[in-house]
Amino acid sequence: MDITESLSHHILDHDWGITLGGFHWPVTTHSVTILAVSVVLLILLAWAARPHKSRNGRLVTALLEEYVLFIRDGLVVPNMGEEGKSLVPYFCTLFLFILAVNLAGMIPGMKSANANISVTAALALCSGGLIVYNGLKFHGFVGFLKSFIPSGTPWWLVPLIFPLEVVSTVIKVSVLAIRLFANMFSGHVALLCLLFMIFMLGQTHWAAGAGSAVPIMVLELFMTCLELLVAFLQAYVFTLLTAIFTGAVIHTH
Amino acid sequence: MPLGSFSKKEHVAITTLGLEFALAELAGGAAGLWLDKKWGTSPWLFLLGVGLGFVLGMYMIIRGAQSLESSQNNAAPKEIKNGHH
Repeated sequence: MDITESLSHHILDHDWGITLGGFHWPVTTHSVTILAVSVVLLILLAWAARPHKSRNGRLVTALLEEYVLFIRDGLVVPNMGEEGKSLVPYFCTLFLFILAVNLAGMIPGMKSANANISVTAALALCSGGLIVYNGLKFHGFVGFLKSFIPSGTPWWLVPLIFPLEVVSTVIKVSVLAIRLFANMFSGHVALLCLLFMIFMLGQTHWAAGAGSAVPIMVLELFMTCLELLVAFLQAYVFTLLTAIFTGAVIHTH
Repeated sequence: MPLGSFSKKEHVAITTLGLEFALAELAGGAAGLWLDKKWGTSPWLFLLGVGLGFVLGMYMIIRGAQSLESSQNNAAPKEIKNGHH
């Protein structure tokens, strides 16, 4: 069994796109997953947002309201103040999208698109855009540039501190992408490596493979539960950090 | 509790510091390597990039610690605040 090939087959993205008129239209596992998740979320949420008469329907509405309140009162208002209330829809979308894409990786046959750095980089770019937009909206262009200089900095240190602050903001946003990517990617790799251990032991002797199967599957179950936790945790951390950074730009000093 | 009375927000801020420090050096090194290849100055710009990345990483950690300390002082009673400064 070729482990490298098997790993890359299960972890990496696959392109089965078509070339039309000299231009390649990429269709990959991850892009299909993202589209599927988006369509499912759109349909489900559009249905849930309608006024419901039945008891179960009202329960769904109450659950959604609870979710929106959790984002507004738990994440947005404590970190961004009253000014952030207009951004609650963005944070609701961000959390639910990341969570749904993370959980899609747990469904057999699907892959978590957040295990692809391009996807998480795009999400981080959206968050970076939100940060810059709010800085410009609340402080204007000059005020936004000034907010990069910490209060109490001597004037002769400004040329040194300003680039450091700008680059450190870029790095903070990049860290968002890398954290989400690394957590989702490493979870899948750990699960697969555990599974491969059964086959590697089985190659030495069939009894070793058979004997190790049960303990490794117990470990696999534990890792799957851990990955379920990480799916929720990383969606929460990404949303929380975006709220913290945006809040820091709105309330500079 | 070893972390004292830090809030949830501050806990998250502490966990990002390590990754930020690592990424600053990696980014500096990558930029140095790229410029080295472009201008054929290997290995000097790579070393300079890693050094600058290290400076940036240290700066980010010190700034992070400062902001944590100031938020702790704001939360603490007044006499402690006066004792610090």
